[in-house]
Amino acid sequence: MIRIIRNFSRRIIASLFNRKENIKIGFYGPPNSGKTTLANLICRDWTGQEIGTTSNVPHETREVQFKEKVEITHKGKVLTFKIVDTPGIATKIDYEDFLRFGLKKNEAKKRAKEATQGIIESIKWLNDMDAVVVVLDSAENPYSQVNITIIGNLVARKIPVLVVANKIDLKKSNIKRLQAAFPEYEVVGISARDSSNMDEFYESLFRLAKKI
Amino acid sequence: MPYRCVHCSKLYEDASKEVLTGCANCGRKFFFYIKKEKLAMMENSSQKNEPELELDEEERKKIEADVREIAGITNEETPIFLDFESVKVIKEGKYLLDLPKLFSGKPQVYQLEDGRYIVDLSFIKSDDKD
Repeated sequence: MIRIIRNFSRRIIASLFNRKENIKIGFYGPPNSGKTTLANLICRDWTGQEIGTTSNVPHETREVQFKEKVEITHKGKVLTFKIVDTPGIATKIDYEDFLRFGLKKNEAKKRAKEATQGIIESIKWLNDMDAVVVVLDSAENPYSQVNITIIGNLVARKIPVLVVANKIDLKKSNIKRLQAAFPEYEVVGISARDSSNMDEFYESLFRLAKKI
Repeated sequence: MPYRCVHCSKLYEDASKEVLTGCANCGRKFFFYIKKEKLAMMENSSQKNEPELELDEEERKKIEADVREIAGITNEETPIFLDFESVKVIKEGKYLLDLPKLFSGKPQVYQLEDGRYIVDLSFIKSDDKD
């Protein structure tokens, strides 16, 4: 009898441990909202390595990229994450938009094709996520089809969501507008570029992990 | 549903063998679905033989290559049928994505039977000029 209880307890503890051992967190959002900059910051702080390259040219991330076993310590608690950085989701991809960044026509067309593939891949990965951090540019209008579609689908799939209002260092940044757009979700304002307000971000991230 | 060859615009009735063996006109295996009503309308109109897609052959070839790459079906012997309009290829390098459809969870590639697929993509007419 004691053995049965002991095994049962071990299983419960093990399942709890596993649940917290490799939490799959997806970073989703429109292009150029700072997903990779934030994912890089986290990975650099806790593993010493970055996850991908960043650029001013939209759709720099065109493949899903991830970092396994990112162990994060916050206020004495330790959680291990699989950080999944995804290509920016958009409704329209036009190679001509890349030409003004100095890309040659063929490079721009290739980028457009890869970005389209990337969006399809991002959406496919969604079902594997335990929770999602939606990274939005707080200086942009939050009422876009992309933002509403992403968040609406996460709700439908019952995936816990944290909304990050990135780029709070910009003059046009407006967190309140973002909070008003998504009142049911926790919104945390940060600047991934300046590493500002990251304590509050980790606080929110750990709260998000509890919802899984 | 009837088919239309992307390359030469030849129309085929539903279940035509050419959609599997290759277009009788140009031999390609790259088609898109059109609605029966549209086919009837086209057959009754004077535009019957006019190509709908304002793309030259080089652009069509490039688009087919891109779509095959995006869909992961690079074997040109495998017929592709475009449908569902979740990803519209306006022309090379220009795409429109219907996010609600993509998020709906339907697979982008449907395998009907061995060697026969439906790909969740669609072409639309483009007025863009390069």
